[in-house]
Amino acid sequence: MERKHRALLLALPTVLTLLFFFVAPMVYILVHTLHENGFSDFVDFFGDPFYRNILWVTLRVSLVSTAISLVLGYPTAFYMARTKSRMKQVMMIVILFPFLVSAVVRSYGWMVILGTNGLLNQLLQSLGLISTPLKILNTETAVIIGMIHLLVPYMVLSLVGVLQSIDPNVEYAAYSLGASPLQTFSKVVFPLSLPGIISGCVLVFTMSMTSYVTPKLLGGSKFRMMATMVVQEINVNFDWGAASAISYILLAVILLVQIAVVLCTSGYMKRMGGGK
Amino acid sequence: MREKDVNLPCRIFAILVMLFLLAPLVVIVIASFTPTALITFPPQGFSLKWYANIFGSSTHFMDGLVNSLKIGILATAADILLGVTAALSVCRYSFKGKDALLNYYTSPMYVPSVAFAFVLLQVYSQIGGVPGMLRIFIGHLIIILPYIVRNTVSVLHVFNWTLEDAATSMGATPIQVFFKITIPLARPGIMAGALLAFLYSFDEVALSSLLSTPRFITLPIRIMNYMELTFDPTLAAISTLLILASLVLIVLMEKFVGLDMFVK
Repeated sequence: MERKHRALLLALPTVLTLLFFFVAPMVYILVHTLHENGFSDFVDFFGDPFYRNILWVTLRVSLVSTAISLVLGYPTAFYMARTKSRMKQVMMIVILFPFLVSAVVRSYGWMVILGTNGLLNQLLQSLGLISTPLKILNTETAVIIGMIHLLVPYMVLSLVGVLQSIDPNVEYAAYSLGASPLQTFSKVVFPLSLPGIISGCVLVFTMSMTSYVTPKLLGGSKFRMMATMVVQEINVNFDWGAASAISYILLAVILLVQIAVVLCTSGYMKRMGGGK
Repeated sequence: MREKDVNLPCRIFAILVMLFLLAPLVVIVIASFTPTALITFPPQGFSLKWYANIFGSSTHFMDGLVNSLKIGILATAADILLGVTAALSVCRYSFKGKDALLNYYTSPMYVPSVAFAFVLLQVYSQIGGVPGMLRIFIGHLIIILPYIVRNTVSVLHVFNWTLEDAATSMGATPIQVFFKITIPLARPGIMAGALLAFLYSFDEVALSSLLSTPRFITLPIRIMNYMELTFDPTLAAISTLLILASLVLIVLMEKFVGLDMFVK
């Protein structure tokens, strides 16, 4: 009984802080919006092709960035998990280093590289490969490149732990029973690392769905994702009803994706012993 | 010997990914020393004039830096208190609903910061007169809390609680147990969480840009505002300083906490 009180006492400050400054405002503003305008802003969002397209672009950019981050991150994490050389420590620093640098700074680096007068165009022109500069900055491609740069470290960190915990002897066992390297990967290593892949992908997907700096700086003024659209509705169009609708729709999409992933994978995770 | 297990293509691939990650940072550092306003490679000469620009009054970068540090330090310090007590409440005692409580603590992670920022903006506009620093502080206090809770929990999860009982049986008071046993053992998790939380706050843009007032603007917002007006290597110079700070930080971390803390 006394222990229960102590747990309650420890929990109380944080519970109340979150309640006052987080849960209450989130609920209050949702109720307030619905009370003032009903569902009209939400109906407008899905009725207007302009807004529907923004949701679609956000989903598309996030899916593509997540997929490419996985493709880049998996072999990297695999190498880091298995190597015994000093390279691992060096790579860990290289992975964590951009991770610690502001997204504004990293986007600026890509602006310098990808701009019309940027380094990539200077290089390609001096090599005589192109005559007119490529337009990469302020396109969806630039946003995806910047996004991948942001996401790969998170993906690698999610995967390294899981891959490290796979006993190499399991692989040797598969080999000794006559499995080819490809079979060993697809039937042993890949399924065992699936929990890491799923958690990494969900993390990275959520981050790109909500990202603001990268689409704003690398996408230019005509490229819009959900988060940048919220700010635009507030600061440029002064339409707070629309901004509310977009905010809550974005939140709902993220929660739906998380719930869907948990529901679809819970059976599998349990079989793999990941649900304990 | 084991090196052979990791085949060569995998190794080359990993190195290419590392180059991709480093490319924009290296470019920025080199660009910060170019004498011309247009960044060309290789740079035509060497100049430090963009660094001098940073400290000029027109950029407001120093003012922004002070504001960012204030918010980052205050929010992190407050969240260490909140986060550690919260983590203890779900790890030290077992009771029904403790998983739900942990999810509640980390729930701000699942809300887009721009959505939360807009909600706060509406609340502030209804209350009126909330000063700029407090507006951003409350926002950061909430969004960085999950990092400290999660990292502390991950250490306390494997914590050997009998150590506390041992100390108590040898006559330590509860306060001594807490400060001499529990906190020192949980410190790597608290430090890693605090570091991530501070960096998140220091680099945060979406929330700060919606909630800042003309009198209180943080560094990333100052940099973005500058970028919209002038695109010169002053941006490369301030970015280089920030990159350098991150590098110092990571070397210190490797030395004192170890980087394995960040592998989930």
